[in-house]
Amino acid sequence: MVVGGGLCAGLLTRQLTAQGIDVVVLERGVEHRGGAEARVPSQRDELRWAQRQGNMQNWQRETYTLRHSRHEESLPVRWMEAFLPGEGVGGAGSHWNGVAWRWSEYDPMLRTRYESRYGKKVVPADMPLQDWGTTYAELEPYHDLFEKLFGLSGKAGNIAGTIQPGGNPFEAPRRGDYPQAPLEITEAGIIFKAAAETLGLKPFPGPAANSSGDYLNPDGQRLGRCQYCGHCERFVCEAHAKGTPDRLLYPMLKTRKGFEIRTRAQVLHIDYDGGAKRATGVRYLDLNSGEEYEQPADVVVLAAFTMTNTRLLLLSGVGAAYDPAARRGVVGKNFCYQTTSGVSVFFRDRWINPFLAAGATSTVVDEFNNDNFDHAALPFRGGASIDAAVSNGRPIRGRRTPPGSPRWGTAWKQAQADWYAHSFSVAAQGSCYPHRENYLDLDPDYTDAYGLPLLRVTFDFRDNEVKMSRWVTQKVAEICKTMAPDIMGPVAGREGPFDSRQYQTTHVTGGTIMGADPASSVVSPHLQHWDAENLFVVGASVYPHNSGYNPTGPLAALALRLGDDVARYVVRPGKLA
Amino acid sequence: MVDNKTHTGRRNFLLQAGLAGVASVASAVPAAVGAAAANPAADTYHSLGPDEAAFIEALVNIMCPADKLSPSGVDCGLAIYIDRQLAGPYGKGDGRYQRGPYRHGKPQLGLQLPLTPEQFCKAGIAAVDAACVRDRGAPFAALKVAEADAVLVDIADGRVTDERLSLSSWFTDIVYPLFVEACFADPMYGGNRNAVFWKMIGYPGLPANHAIDMVRYRGKPYPGAGSPKSIGDFS
Repeated sequence: MVVGGGLCAGLLTRQLTAQGIDVVVLERGVEHRGGAEARVPSQRDELRWAQRQGNMQNWQRETYTLRHSRHEESLPVRWMEAFLPGEGVGGAGSHWNGVAWRWSEYDPMLRTRYESRYGKKVVPADMPLQDWGTTYAELEPYHDLFEKLFGLSGKAGNIAGTIQPGGNPFEAPRRGDYPQAPLEITEAGIIFKAAAETLGLKPFPGPAANSSGDYLNPDGQRLGRCQYCGHCERFVCEAHAKGTPDRLLYPMLKTRKGFEIRTRAQVLHIDYDGGAKRATGVRYLDLNSGEEYEQPADVVVLAAFTMTNTRLLLLSGVGAAYDPAARRGVVGKNFCYQTTSGVSVFFRDRWINPFLAAGATSTVVDEFNNDNFDHAALPFRGGASIDAAVSNGRPIRGRRTPPGSPRWGTAWKQAQADWYAHSFSVAAQGSCYPHRENYLDLDPDYTDAYGLPLLRVTFDFRDNEVKMSRWVTQKVAEICKTMAPDIMGPVAGREGPFDSRQYQTTHVTGGTIMGADPASSVVSPHLQHWDAENLFVVGASVYPHNSGYNPTGPLAALALRLGDDVARYVVRPGKLA
Repeated sequence: MVDNKTHTGRRNFLLQAGLAGVASVASAVPAAVGAAAANPAADTYHSLGPDEAAFIEALVNIMCPADKLSPSGVDCGLAIYIDRQLAGPYGKGDGRYQRGPYRHGKPQLGLQLPLTPEQFCKAGIAAVDAACVRDRGAPFAALKVAEADAVLVDIADGRVTDERLSLSSWFTDIVYPLFVEACFADPMYGGNRNAVFWKMIGYPGLPANHAIDMVRYRGKPYPGAGSPKSIGDFS
């Protein structure tokens, strides 16, 4: 029994069904394939899919409440912009941009890394950083499998320890090159690359689940060549060129014996026998018939979005809810986001043509990410990947005008005409380390359409992230200045208060974190719940911290490994080691 | 090359739409009323009443005056776009969490009003009109263009207040996003008529199959930018 029909569910189900294990997936949404979102011309509708969030979670039925500190009153975010969970088969994995990193080799042992490099006092008391209890080396085969399944385009930077020219010199060692050649570089990427090289940095093409060519994966599933259409993130790819679960996994799974997916199935509760310490099944509402079902299961896997995984554990009373005042409990702990910032650059005589772009056409430098640089004399931990990321030139949102431009009138129009095709942003995608006061719990007042408490987010950018962002954004500015643009936008790091009205990224992490110690984690290093050995949780909710990369790569690797682990468990139940 | 095509487009628009735009500005008759009289679509509003329509028409003509870049806001379809959005799912609050209790909070938590976007838009129109009558002796649509423009600046900067509504939030959270969408959304929604704003900025529209263009026109003017195609061109 798998809750959620997105990326993780598809990957782990691939492993399970290959080993003859029957799987039922419960998904609240419907199929995207065949819908208006998945064919031209209706796919190319920025208003419908991007502005009105046509492929996203419906906030009318379920949103999150928010406050910046536990001493404030929470309110429901009535229309969320900051992050956008998906809905439907494929989940957020159908509307992603396709940026598919492996994280730093040391990310799964981040606390150990910092302490061994800088001493025991390096991690502040209010930063509950912890190792994952697993290593990159254990996950590497699954990274490799994911990249082959999803046909990634990119340039290796580190093959088995040998640094490769043109790739990321900070990359974790990989067994071989990417399955496909990198995407075409954008004009913005060319400008960025020249500036970065002038500064002695090592720019490289970002890893992309946008197919640079025609591709056949190991399961016999095909991807077409990316059309650089600029309708990737927030959209469903009609050209079958984006690596997505609804393209590469679910159609294939449906041909396998023992696989079933039930759509319009809203999971309400995990049935838990506290005495036996077992999950006995789930309760779900059939959104078409209005019937509520109890579905017994031998094994339950939560593979929904970060927020849903955490909320279902809290609603079902499985595990102890985190209490920051008493410093007890684990469910909801280490909620993290991503610390983003950027600087706009304007070139009168360069044609950026932002509409010629794929979701993941980016040129990146990694020198200032995570612990890739010396933090000994710096007042913060973490860092950011920095890139010229032109992913689209969609006209409602994808325009930039110089600072001081008027807000309307003839001069406003002139600024649009002058700069739309001649500008881009250099972005910093920063880490977000856990803070004792950033967490998730159930809201005491507000409920969803089914009468269940909403998840409450208590989050703000804390001192560490603000200082990191300020420092990294200065590095962005140095690169921008080196480009010698005609105009440069303001240089400002990310500051609080966290703003639900502004899209930043959908990279929310934590809440059901993994670790070797049951006192500080929800699931084991094998993603097995400490309080129910037949209950597993997978997704970005298991990350104890967020890195300066998009989160998809490691969670895909974790999901594939979990499929093999659950197959082992089915054969021989017990604590997985 | 691209510029030539764009300028041809602009000239055509001015020829088509020049009369209404010139009349409304030159005579100092309320911009919107003049334009509304010349616009055959004005009587087809689905949400806006007559006074509200006059308000929105005046507003879009100030925010998008007829000039060498485009016809007036009304002639670009911006008022029709706003009306259609207010009358449709967006205006009715589709997809918005609407359960109580309602409480005020920090702006970063988002709007916290027991109003749909349509209701908020209309309540704001009434409040701005009341403020204009109080402070300037006439409703918004009857003000001279420069005066009405100054009112919008004051509203956007939070200098016009109402006892019950935040007018700066009304402008920032409802009116301005609708205006921008009216300009840049696909023409099938009623605004951006003849893709005039896409031509203005050089966005080529559909079908956007750019695998070859990506290399051929990297760093160069894109020839299709002067003649953008919209969803209607492929339907």
